[in-house]
Amino acid sequence: MAAKPIASPIPVSMYPTLSVFTLAIGLFITAFFFIYEATSSRKNRSLGKELATATVASVFLGFGSLFLLLASGVYV
Amino acid sequence: MKHSSVDLLLLLLTIAVLTSPVYSDLVLSKVERRIDVTSQIARVTKTLKVVNSGSESVSEFILTFPKFLGNNLAYLSVSHSEGKGKSKRSLVKLSVKAANLKGVPDSISVYSVALPKALTKGDTLTLEVVAAFTNVLQPFPEKISQRDIHLVMLQESAQYLSPYAVESQSLSIKLPNARIESYTNLDGTKLQGTELKYGPYKNLPQYSYSPIVVHFESKAAFAVAEKLVREIEVSHWGNVQVTEHYNIVHRGAQLKGEFSRLDFQGRPPSGVSAFRHLLARLPPRAHSIYYRDDIGNISTSQMQSDSKKTELLIEPRFPLFGGWRTFFTIGYGLPLRDFLFASEGKRFLNISFGSPMIDLVTEKLIVQVVLPEGSKDISVTTPFAVKQSQEIKYSHLDIAGRPVVVLEKNNVVPDHNQYIQVYYKFSNINLLSEPLMLISGFFVLFITCIIYTRADFSISKSSAIYLAKLHWDEVLATVQEVQNIIHKCLATHDKLESSLRDLSRTGDIQTCKAARKSTDSLLKDLSKELKPLLTFLQSSSSASQISPKVEELITKEKELQEKLMAKHTTVVEGYEKKSSGRDIENRIASQQQKIIALRQEIEDLLEFIDEI
Repeated sequence: MAAKPIASPIPVSMYPTLSVFTLAIGLFITAFFFIYEATSSRKNRSLGKELATATVASVFLGFGSLFLLLASGVYV
Repeated sequence: MKHSSVDLLLLLLTIAVLTSPVYSDLVLSKVERRIDVTSQIARVTKTLKVVNSGSESVSEFILTFPKFLGNNLAYLSVSHSEGKGKSKRSLVKLSVKAANLKGVPDSISVYSVALPKALTKGDTLTLEVVAAFTNVLQPFPEKISQRDIHLVMLQESAQYLSPYAVESQSLSIKLPNARIESYTNLDGTKLQGTELKYGPYKNLPQYSYSPIVVHFESKAAFAVAEKLVREIEVSHWGNVQVTEHYNIVHRGAQLKGEFSRLDFQGRPPSGVSAFRHLLARLPPRAHSIYYRDDIGNISTSQMQSDSKKTELLIEPRFPLFGGWRTFFTIGYGLPLRDFLFASEGKRFLNISFGSPMIDLVTEKLIVQVVLPEGSKDISVTTPFAVKQSQEIKYSHLDIAGRPVVVLEKNNVVPDHNQYIQVYYKFSNINLLSEPLMLISGFFVLFITCIIYTRADFSISKSSAIYLAKLHWDEVLATVQEVQNIIHKCLATHDKLESSLRDLSRTGDIQTCKAARKSTDSLLKDLSKELKPLLTFLQSSSSASQISPKVEELITKEKELQEKLMAKHTTVVEGYEKKSSGRDIENRIASQQQKIIALRQEIEDLLEFIDEI
C-alpha cells in the first residue's frame, strides 16, 4: 500500500479567520451571559437558561482559543 | 608532525612483520581512490574491482584502514553496482560491520562486507566504497595568529592498504583552490591544478603501504557542533516544528595572541582562518523561521527560498576563530503533509536525521521526535545504527504527556543526512482532547460565576441590613414580574389592533370576534396574576417609593385596555351595521387619540421603573 500524506483536519490557512469568528460569537454569548447574571434578580433567574448559555459560550470560546493558538503558531 | 611520523614508522614495521596471512584468494584487479579534502571532512570514494582467482567461493570482503584513520571514521557505505553498461547501473547497499581478524595488527582497523552473492572462481565484482573521516585534517601549525592563513595536513598512503593483492591502483587527492605548502613526492606524483595524483602502481603485494603527507591551506569552515539537540515536534493540527540547539566550536588551528576587531574589519586579509557564516539548507516550504540565542533574537540572517529548498544563511554574533565557540538556536515549522504519511493502519514521520547545516560535523547528535499525546506502538527505522530510548514530555494542554523518541549518535557527518521513519499509531479522536480541555476550562469559569451569584456571603444572617437587602431583592423581583406582565399585556393589545386591521382589509367579522375573545381571556388571566404582586408591593415598607408608580402603571394599563375594548366594539359594530369606513373612523378618532396618549404614558412609566 502506498503511503498517503496526512494533512490537518482543517486547512492551516483557515485558522485566523475561524478564530476571529468563533471568538467573536463566543464573546458575544459570554457578554449576554454576564448581562443576564447582573440584571436578573436572584429570585427569577433560571438555571437552565444560565447553563445553556454557559455551554454554548464555552464551546465557542474553547474552539476559538484553540484556533487562536494554532493561528499564532503554538501548535498544541 | 614528529609524533605522527613515529606512528607511521611503527605501522610500517608491524606491516613488514606480518606473515602475510591469506584470507582468501581474492585479488583487486583495479583500485581507484579519490580523496576530497575541500571541506573539513576527508571524503574518500573508492572503486574496487574484485576478482576471485582461487578455487573456493568467497562471500565476505575485508576492508582495512590504518588505525589513525579508522578511529576517525564517521561514515562508511559499501555498495555494488548491478547490471552492466553505464545506463543500467544502480547501486545496492551492502551491510558492513567492524570485524576482528586474527593476525591483523592493532594498527589496522578492519571492516567486513557481506557480498550479495558468493564469488566463485573467476567472478568479478565492482564495489563502490564511500568513507568520510573527521579530524584527519590536522591543523599545522596548531596555533596561528589572526593574520596567518590556515594550514592543515593530511596523512594517507599512496598505496592501497588491503589484505588482498592489488594489480593496479591510483590515488587522486582533490585539494581546495588555495596554497599548497608541500606534498610527499614519489614516483609518478603529479600536481594538476588542485588535483594531486599518485600512481598508477602495478602489482602491489598485500598490505602495501607508503605514507604520504600533504600540507595545504584550507579555507573551509572547521565548524563542529560539540552537541546538537534537534527537537522535532509533530502536531496533527498541521505542523512539524523543528528546533535545533547548536553548540558550535571552530576546530581548526587555535588563535594565538589577541583578537583585533580593527585589523579584522579594516585590514584584510586579516582573519582568513575565521568563519563568519553558516549555511543551512532547510526543506522547502519551511516557515516561521527564527534564529536566536540566550540573549534574544539574532538579526544577522538571510533567507532565500524556492520550490525545492529554503536556504538560511546565518551569521553568529562574532566571527569564529580557532577554538572559539558559540551557542545558538534555530527553529522552523514544516507543513505536516510533506512529512507525515499513513500506511497500513499506521502513521509514519519521514524526516531527515542530521543537521541541515552544510559541511557541519556533529560530535554528539540527539534527535528527539515528540509525537502527539496518545500515540502508541512506536517504532523507528534508521539506515544506520543509532542509540534509541523513550521519554515523556509535557507541553501545551497535556495530561499524560507526549511520547518522545530519543535517537543518539556520535560523530555525524552530512552523509548521515538520510531519512528516518518513526512509525506510530494515532486515532484522530485524540485530536479533540485539546479543544475539550479548553471548553471545560471556560465552562468551569461560567459555573463559578453561576455559583458566585447564587451564594450568600453575609456573615450575620439576622442583621437589619441583611434582612432589608433580602426584602429589597424580593421587591425588585416582584417589580420585574410586573413589568413582564405589562409587556405581555401590551403585546396582546398589539394583537387586538392587528385583528382590527385585518377586519378592515378582509371584512371577516367572525375572526375578529374570536380574536377579541381570546385576548379577553388572556388579559383577564394576566390581571389576575398582577393582583397578588401589587398587594405584596403595597404591603412592603421598602417598596413605598415604587408602589405608587406601579399602581399608576397598572391603572393606566387597565384604562388603556378599556379604551381599546371600546374602540374594538365600536369598529365591529360599525362593520356589522355596514356603515362606511369614514363613519367608523370618525367615531373612533377621539378614542384613538386617547389610546395613543395612554400608551405613551405607560411606556414612560415602564422606563421610569426600569431606571430604579
